[in-house]
Amino acid sequence: MTRILPKNRLDDCIAAWRSAGFSVLAPVRRSDLSRFEEVERSEDMALDLVLTERTIKDHFFPQTEPLIKYSIKKHDIDTQEMVPPERKRVFFGVRPCDASGLAIDDPLFGWDYRDEYWFKRRDNAVIVTIACTTSDDFCMCSSVNLSPDSTKGSDVMLRPLQNGSGWQVEALSDRGNALLGPISSILKEGSDATASTASVPVRFDVDKVMAWLADPASFESHFWKEISVRCIGCGSCTFLCPTCHCFDIQDEGDTYTGIRRKNWDSCSFPMFTMHTSGHNPRNTQSTRWRQRIMHKFNYYRGKFGVNSCSGCGRCTRQCPVDMGITETLQAITNLTK
Amino acid sequence: MGIQEQYRSEAAGLLSSGAVKLVIGFGEGSTVERRRPVFVRTPAETERLVLDGGCVANLSTYLLTEGLLSDGKSVAVFLKPDGIRSINILAAEAQLNPEQVVIFGFDIEEGQVRALEGRKASDFAPVIGVAKAAGLSAELQKEAELLDQISAAERFEYWKDQFSKCIKCYACRQVCPMCYCRRCIVDVNQPQWVNTSSHTLGNFEWNIVRAFHLAGRCVACGGCDRSCPVNIPLRLINHRMAKEVLDAFDYYAGECAEQKPVLATFRQDDPETFIL
Repeated sequence: MTRILPKNRLDDCIAAWRSAGFSVLAPVRRSDLSRFEEVERSEDMALDLVLTERTIKDHFFPQTEPLIKYSIKKHDIDTQEMVPPERKRVFFGVRPCDASGLAIDDPLFGWDYRDEYWFKRRDNAVIVTIACTTSDDFCMCSSVNLSPDSTKGSDVMLRPLQNGSGWQVEALSDRGNALLGPISSILKEGSDATASTASVPVRFDVDKVMAWLADPASFESHFWKEISVRCIGCGSCTFLCPTCHCFDIQDEGDTYTGIRRKNWDSCSFPMFTMHTSGHNPRNTQSTRWRQRIMHKFNYYRGKFGVNSCSGCGRCTRQCPVDMGITETLQAITNLTK
Repeated sequence: MGIQEQYRSEAAGLLSSGAVKLVIGFGEGSTVERRRPVFVRTPAETERLVLDGGCVANLSTYLLTEGLLSDGKSVAVFLKPDGIRSINILAAEAQLNPEQVVIFGFDIEEGQVRALEGRKASDFAPVIGVAKAAGLSAELQKEAELLDQISAAERFEYWKDQFSKCIKCYACRQVCPMCYCRRCIVDVNQPQWVNTSSHTLGNFEWNIVRAFHLAGRCVACGGCDRSCPVNIPLRLINHRMAKEVLDAFDYYAGECAEQKPVLATFRQDDPETFIL
């Protein structure tokens, strides 16, 4: 016997969480774009999507975010921090790859100092993940040692029942357990079989890839030029990635007052590494694409012991020229056969 | 012999004789339906070239890859009429020498590929003439008219909602053959003329800058619209700008390499209805 959340009680569930002070965010499709937004009713949720086009990362590390307000006076400077308010949020219907993405980024934001802007949101969020029963041609979680029902980064795991009537519920953390409190009367006991999870083929050999990337000779390989020749240098893959986390700091205002903001930046852009001298150490698209792959499957692992990729496949799915991590890592796998 | 085989064989001939150093065409993509740009440098590699109804991208963008044409050698490229118009504009704007571009012209009608006669951009003048006579896309016009019917305030809300999705990935800029500036105005940071922030104001700034820079230059290839990862209907903005220059100046972008850029020329009889 396990606990079941019946699908027809989802509205009661949302209401219970809202009464307990949570905002409930779920996948929605609005203005021709699927993303996570606050919902009040289950009918607004788009739970049948393989994956939202935007990631939940957006709600923890927004594309633009004010850091401080400043004003410069004759003899001093006033600054006022703009740390986000503590807001309890439930993310319902997250996919395992997006949930994993948050867990992958946690050590980065807590490494040399604790990034309050990230952790104020992380600490007040409960991630309710639904295991995948469908996938598409671009999903690749199984290639990066994750799976359609990985629990990494999740506080509650929901596994769809075979008969489609609801989900089997498993709390994975204290936060997850606490979230089930307000809905304890909605959950019921049951032994219904769960639907089989999506079958996502292994598309590349990540161990071989990591070994090849770690070889110093690979850095100057002609491979990078060949694989990236059609890259147009946009930031689509980085900005849709659940783990990419690079940013730029910009001051907006006039001479005396303004707001310092943290804005997404991308290693695909030439400006990303442009020095004030005019010298650019990554002055070609191939060096920039190499950086992206090296960072994800070599440097990040070296520092934090995990690859910076959760296998969502958005980089390929939404690439204007049909590139992406999968093709590159398949090619590296084939190089080392 | 189908058009794909015919072009493969011609491409192989051009490469083996040294008439071109590179062929930019389409190849198989990561799914059955997808086609992706491929770069072919040897006759043997021409086997990779695919030509079918899925080959919709405007590959002229790649001709402006830094240094590609600076050695004076020729490059062959697969182009639909929209892409050929891009070549004419790029030639008119002194960005390339059309003599260095060999065109494998084709068009797609109801999913079927049809070969277009000619190899140089100027050979396709009749095709472009027919396209101009047919007018701007009726389909787009219909979609654009829906927006014309609502009030200005509602239209503003519509675009605010659409632009709120923008993440400034600049896929629309990078895929566009007309966005060839080595340093885009939004990347000029001493001073930073345009906010890099992707907030409402920043997103309006970027999308309006883009629209104005493409007025009279966009050929409606649809590359930006297809590339936008957040599905902003950029086609409607481009269409509106194209309609403005067509109605006001009888200007259809990319008719020929000698055509003067519409916003850089002046005629005595130009309408000046907007000047008080």
